[in-house]
Amino acid sequence: MSLLTQAQTPGRFTIKGTVIDSSGTLLPSATVMLLTPQDSALVNFGRTNEQGELEFKNVKRASYLLKISYVGYLPYEQQVQPGEEAVVDLGQIQLKMLNQDLFEVVIKAARAPLSIRGDTVEYNAGSFKVPPGSTVEDLLRRLPGMQIEQDGTIRSQGQEVKRVTVDGKRFFGDDPKMATKNLPAEAISKVQVFNGKSEQARITGVEDGKQEKTLNLELKDSHKKGGFGKATVGAGTDNRVEGKVNYNRFNDKQQFAIVGFGNNTNQSGLSWDDYQDFRGSQSFNWGDDGDFGFSSGGGVRFVSFDDDQESLTIQAGRSSRDRGFTKNWAGGANYNYDTKKTKFSSNYFYNQTDQTLDVLSNRENFLSSGTFQTSDNNTRSNLNMNHRGGIRFEHTLDSLNTIIVISNARFGRGSSRYNSLQEFYRGENNLSTRSNINNNNRFNSFSMGNTAIFRHKFQKKGRNFAVSVGYNINNSDGDATQRSVNEFFREEGDSTAVINQDNQTVSLRTQFKASALYIEPLGKKFFWETFANFSLRQDEVDRDVFDISQEAQIRNTFLSRYYTNDFVYNRFGSSMRYSYKGFNLSAGLARVYFDLKGQFSQDQTTPEIGRVDRQFTRWTPSASLNYSMKNNKYLFMNYNLNVDEPPIRDLQPIIDNSNPLYIREGNPDLQPQANHNVSAGLSMFNPGNFTQFFINVYYAYYLNQIVYNQTVSQDLITTTRPVNISGGTNLGSYINYGFPLVKTKSTLNINSSIGFNKNLIYVNEILNTTNTDRYNVGLRLDLTPSDKFTLYTNANWNFSNTRYSLNTTQNQKIVNSSYGAEMNVKLPAEMYFSSRFNLNTFVNDRFGFNQTQPILNLSVYKIILKDKKGEVRLSAYDLFNQNRGITQYATQNFVSTEQVNTLARYFMLSFTYNMRGVTGGVRRRGF
Amino acid sequence: MKFKHFNIALFLLMALPGLCQTMEGVVTYERVYHWSKIYSRLTFLSQEEKDRIKLTWGNDDESKTKMQLFFTPNQSKYTYASDQGTSESGSYSWRQEDYIIFRDYEKESKVEIMEMLGKTYVIEDSLRAPRWKVLNQIKDVNGHVCMLAVTEDTVKKQKISAWFAHDLPISAGPERYFGLPGIILELDVNEGDFVITATNIELKPVGEGIQLPKKIKGKKLTDASYEELISTHISDSMKSHRNPYWSIPY
Repeated sequence: MSLLTQAQTPGRFTIKGTVIDSSGTLLPSATVMLLTPQDSALVNFGRTNEQGELEFKNVKRASYLLKISYVGYLPYEQQVQPGEEAVVDLGQIQLKMLNQDLFEVVIKAARAPLSIRGDTVEYNAGSFKVPPGSTVEDLLRRLPGMQIEQDGTIRSQGQEVKRVTVDGKRFFGDDPKMATKNLPAEAISKVQVFNGKSEQARITGVEDGKQEKTLNLELKDSHKKGGFGKATVGAGTDNRVEGKVNYNRFNDKQQFAIVGFGNNTNQSGLSWDDYQDFRGSQSFNWGDDGDFGFSSGGGVRFVSFDDDQESLTIQAGRSSRDRGFTKNWAGGANYNYDTKKTKFSSNYFYNQTDQTLDVLSNRENFLSSGTFQTSDNNTRSNLNMNHRGGIRFEHTLDSLNTIIVISNARFGRGSSRYNSLQEFYRGENNLSTRSNINNNNRFNSFSMGNTAIFRHKFQKKGRNFAVSVGYNINNSDGDATQRSVNEFFREEGDSTAVINQDNQTVSLRTQFKASALYIEPLGKKFFWETFANFSLRQDEVDRDVFDISQEAQIRNTFLSRYYTNDFVYNRFGSSMRYSYKGFNLSAGLARVYFDLKGQFSQDQTTPEIGRVDRQFTRWTPSASLNYSMKNNKYLFMNYNLNVDEPPIRDLQPIIDNSNPLYIREGNPDLQPQANHNVSAGLSMFNPGNFTQFFINVYYAYYLNQIVYNQTVSQDLITTTRPVNISGGTNLGSYINYGFPLVKTKSTLNINSSIGFNKNLIYVNEILNTTNTDRYNVGLRLDLTPSDKFTLYTNANWNFSNTRYSLNTTQNQKIVNSSYGAEMNVKLPAEMYFSSRFNLNTFVNDRFGFNQTQPILNLSVYKIILKDKKGEVRLSAYDLFNQNRGITQYATQNFVSTEQVNTLARYFMLSFTYNMRGVTGGVRRRGF
Repeated sequence: MKFKHFNIALFLLMALPGLCQTMEGVVTYERVYHWSKIYSRLTFLSQEEKDRIKLTWGNDDESKTKMQLFFTPNQSKYTYASDQGTSESGSYSWRQEDYIIFRDYEKESKVEIMEMLGKTYVIEDSLRAPRWKVLNQIKDVNGHVCMLAVTEDTVKKQKISAWFAHDLPISAGPERYFGLPGIILELDVNEGDFVITATNIELKPVGEGIQLPKKIKGKKLTDASYEELISTHISDSMKSHRNPYWSIPY
């Protein structure tokens, strides 16, 4: 540095000056900067000394912008244009005081940035708080230096404002009050006041020296609010049609969305994308069930009735093509109000699905003495209609207290029809039983879930308290008609059993639950967590069964049932957590108490025929480790013991023979089932070369597992009875390794899984152990060479070996494999081609089953309209007409294959209009 | 990124000997990262996908970290305020990636220890200040009147706004930014994507706090090789439809 050199260097010069304020006081330590005049780039800087003197020695000879700033003063700027002189002395430089109001109100109180442009001072009006619904006039009243007179005249620093512009443009003529009285304050981002030329000077172009105060209002960025929507209609061969529409409006606080669709192409639900567009910021909320503490199984969680598995809330991700044929309608609206302090959400959604299933299934059952086959050819039609409504309110009372209230309700209605021809064969072609079944069912249901959660944080960091209460209700009533003719073919003579029954079932289930959680930090690294859960569930079911004959309708006292159940669940537990630098370890223990009480009678008025009164207490331990290591490596381990109470239906000391071929018995001596679960895994990702690796192992051991023992009579009537059995296990591992072959162009992924499953069951009083070993290998190769062409291929081989101790000759080897390829090509003129091919094979040599199912989907689309807002698409689904809905599996003591008549080949022409434009592309989604 | 040689610190030291020599201390910053805004900059996402992310997560996408800047007239060190990252209640913790930005203004040198792309890198080079443009805007940051300066990161294509204090005449700053007439008390990357704001300024002797750790392990880089590594990674990630900023500092 040449600071100490006094000798003059040609091409360099020195700048000097003294900084004072308007009263002549010297200003020491003022910031002095040299900027380039073209773009204000900082070249050099310094401070004035105690005498207020500034000096830049030996700076390059060029023009500069000298800038001086001092707290409380307007920043000062001056051009410095050196001639030949060695020293440019700027003499005394006077800084102007910054308006005190502006400094105090804008800078200190509102903490808003203040921009100075010559004589214009501008600041962010958004920093000044006004109540919602205020006009610009109300906003201006709060701004420093502004006065609003009775008649709405605006004065800035005493001078009348003659002109108001919005975004620099005139707003409805010349009356300045028009804009300030009518525009909402929320729409304004900036207020600028400057001295403009007078109207006369503007028109004549002759400078008259007069200056007029002008107020400019800048509107908030339009990107803060927006609306978008999308609509698709399509029609195809085979009377296939589909339509879908969604529209959203939102700003930074509010979101409104509608969605609707209808089709007969088996798309019954919302995709995750549609769901997110619909629910917006309320798509995902965690911890809304209010069940605190680690997971240990059991009955806190509310389960709806077996015959009506619909959830209370809108479900997403079920748009995968269903089996059979379905006709679907759905529509709804959602509104969210979302601020840091208050979040409110409400939604309504209706959906209707009409499904037709044509099923052919074959099943082989193994007994100690031999086997029997069942074939079932049935037609089912199910109609399901649901109205859902939901409200969620979350309010942060202050920095320590939060309250959440959630209410969801559903009205359901529907009907189902089941027509079936079942045939039971003993050995080859030896028909033993034939059943012809015609059942119809109609139901109405109402269910509702309400939860309130209160969370409190203490001043001490880490000390937390939370409490929740919930009330759930599920009310349903159904009518069913059951008609069947069951023929038994025996050597000693055939017989027939006819069932002709109507039944009505009314049920009411309520649950009250409450939970509490307290977390106490012990030092910086330990946290002690204590929780309690309580649930009381009450069921009341009234089922009346009538035998129908031509003459009369007689109540079937054997099958009619009235029962009430009370189920109390209590859990109290504690766990200790250690957490430091990514090493998170926790271990805990809980005591679980179940109390199940049930009373069963044939009718409300008849005497009790059975009673359940059981109490269980169990200890459930839990431990987990999560360790995040250097370079994106994560290790996790978990152990827990799950305890589940026996289903109260299984405890009933009653025989249910509503299906004459499949009779259920209860077992009042059942114990809760428990399973020990251990799992561990490691994941690694190298973002430098995009390599990833994942491995996990899991093991489960069952204690008192509830299994359904089978007793099969000579007539092939199966009677099942639940019992506890210990010793079932499940062991497995999954491994995945992915790496780029050529970076950004091709990626190879290898995965493999193995699983060993041991299942125990008694068949005709003899213990059968079913061991199933599963091996799976998968390969995926993604080729993404350019923006015009991609090819994604995959192959999967599944091999399973099932061994039955009861009857080793029935051991099964099943091989399922699948191969897939997806090719996407960008053609000229905004045209795209995409094809997807899947080949699935199903082989079971023992069963003589060998099926291959090739499915090819093709589509070609072109992006049209201005701004690429439209898309025309021609699609072919299942070009080879091969979709047969095949499944096969082997477990316990049977092996089965099933084929469902399913939507197969059709062609469709569709049109999409997307307000945001259609993005064509050859890449798969996912990021 | 265009840097110009850092040649202004000495002038400052000479101009204000009395004030500067005693001026040392610690600035605590809150660093807020808005990941949904960062997603809206990924070139491979369609407008529809960006809107969906904004709609779903836009109001709840903040991730906050406390950072600290130790400064003396000659040196500064910027790193995490805590040795671990924790959830709000503190009951869940995670490891923080190595991140220390050390500068010696007297020797005009720097050492940046950064864990990224699955490795720890040590960038050692001479000091080169960004090309700042000083604008006529002032505001208050934590009780200090600051003036606005802007620059650009040409590798990451980011707009940088820095608010520097008039009354803290040291050229230090958070992250990789410095070279203004006062300490940078607020730094804004890409209009709110990533904002670092001073929450506490304490003038006190910093002692050992400003020292670099004794053992520094990592792959050595210069500014030039760092820029090449980053720009290759960003372009590879965009081609592979991945967010590059999960694995490098934003």
